[in-house]
Amino acid sequence: MSGAFEAFRAFVQSLAAAGWLPPSLAYGFIVNALVAGLIVGPVLGSLGTLVVVKRHAFFSEAVGHAALTGVALGILVGEPYSGPYGALFGYCLLFGIALNYLRNRTGLSADTLIGVALSMSLALGASVLLVLAGKINIHILENVLFGSVLTVTGADIAILAVVGACVLALTFGFYNRFMLASFNAELAAVRGVPVKALDYLFVILVTVVTVASVKIIGAILVGALLVIPAAAARTVATSLRGFLRLSMLFATLSAIVGVIAPMELDIPVPSGAAIILTAGSLFLLAALARATLPRLRGQSA
Amino acid sequence: MSGPSVSFSGVGLVVGRTEILRGVSFDVAAGSLHAVVGPNGGGKSSLIRALLGRAPHSGEIAVDWPGAPGVVAYVPQTLDFDRGLPMTVLDELAAMTTRRPAFLRPSARDRDLILSALARVGMAEKADRLVGALSGGERQRALMAQALIPDPELLVLDEPMAALDEAGAQAFETLIGELKARGATVIWIEHDLAAVRRLADRVTGLNRSLLFDGAPGEELRPERLFDLFSHHPRPAASDGDVIALRRAGGAS
Repeated sequence: MSGAFEAFRAFVQSLAAAGWLPPSLAYGFIVNALVAGLIVGPVLGSLGTLVVVKRHAFFSEAVGHAALTGVALGILVGEPYSGPYGALFGYCLLFGIALNYLRNRTGLSADTLIGVALSMSLALGASVLLVLAGKINIHILENVLFGSVLTVTGADIAILAVVGACVLALTFGFYNRFMLASFNAELAAVRGVPVKALDYLFVILVTVVTVASVKIIGAILVGALLVIPAAAARTVATSLRGFLRLSMLFATLSAIVGVIAPMELDIPVPSGAAIILTAGSLFLLAALARATLPRLRGQSA
Repeated sequence: MSGPSVSFSGVGLVVGRTEILRGVSFDVAAGSLHAVVGPNGGGKSSLIRALLGRAPHSGEIAVDWPGAPGVVAYVPQTLDFDRGLPMTVLDELAAMTTRRPAFLRPSARDRDLILSALARVGMAEKADRLVGALSGGERQRALMAQALIPDPELLVLDEPMAALDEAGAQAFETLIGELKARGATVIWIEHDLAAVRRLADRVTGLNRSLLFDGAPGEELRPERLFDLFSHHPRPAASDGDVIALRRAGGAS
């Protein structure tokens, strides 16, 4: 697989050198980032539709922010600071699963509980970061927090590809059951859907895909790419089919533009910020389209 | 093909410190249309949740199938989703009744099943409407259609007529008749006592405990109903709890 990837990268670089593609794609690391973006876009875009249906937007943001603490903990225990995946996956999964467990047992509403857990997690992350400040160059963390096209390695892409394929397969395989479980738990149970198990599965899917996307989008902003494209699609789509397609399209487009535009236009912004700014612009355009085109509003109440 | 009999014996349910059901015992005969009536907060929906295995109840609920367990269908009062979701009626039913992701076109077979179920509730021409644009009655009809895929042997209905208009009520009555003719058992929570009296084979009055159980013609008499909808039903509430009779927010 890595051979095929190398060949693809050489092919893209040659096209860029010949002037068929934007010249920044002549750089190997930009092609890496682009490939990461092409994986991240469809996966986050499709899972995002379920995040919107299940009203898990705040949860997705919280898991992304938990990644900050995960990174800090990883570096503290001696993982490489370019990719502390052990602590990232470990801490974020613990965070997501614990949240779901507590929600089932405390009877608190999800937003209250997430508010509590998120603050605690950020406080822990900030504390650990201050401890680390004396030991490492803290600016390296900027890449992890906001994403950087410079740091996406072959290993990152391999992790992302495996995680993305698994998440996409599970998302599509259980799509209807996820929807039904969120519509009405009793009805789902009557129809043989394991509601509680699916709740945990969904939390795990959101968490692992968030963590795998951290390198390209950054811990602070990754949750946004789960929410914004789906929210934009939700405002202009007129069927579930359009909802999913547009969400995937918006997310992928944002990832591509976010990776290439800063290089082409020579703007010194991190890739994560550029991706989310693009997604945000698409959202504003979609909202504007809905406000001005009566056809988009016509049917819905 | 015929439906099961269902037997509730000594069913109790406590949520937090509130006793919602106490010592509820009655039988639902196989192939009958059995109505459950009572005030809001009287525990009707909780009884259904216990039956569906979604509430940790005491006592026993036995579903006795004539052969191998058949299809159980349930019609909830509402679904919980964002009304602005870009989802057509066809999408909604595909999500509830099929495995292929609902954003893909359903297979020809599934599509036929869904359209014929919609036709049976008088919604055939609304398959491509957005769910957010449906009236309350139409949403309830779509929920009924869901319960017909596949055809059930035990059907549990939670106030299916609450939002129905005249035409919807007609369609519902026809449908109930069809299911009964096929031998299905129907457990039907309802607040429209006239409809219960007209359609049901048997009726159970429930207000936290069992108030009556018998033929609708005999049980739905004025003095019975006075008890049923009274704030202080004869089986006294324990430790002075006030029974909630509010329309919303009760434990129904």
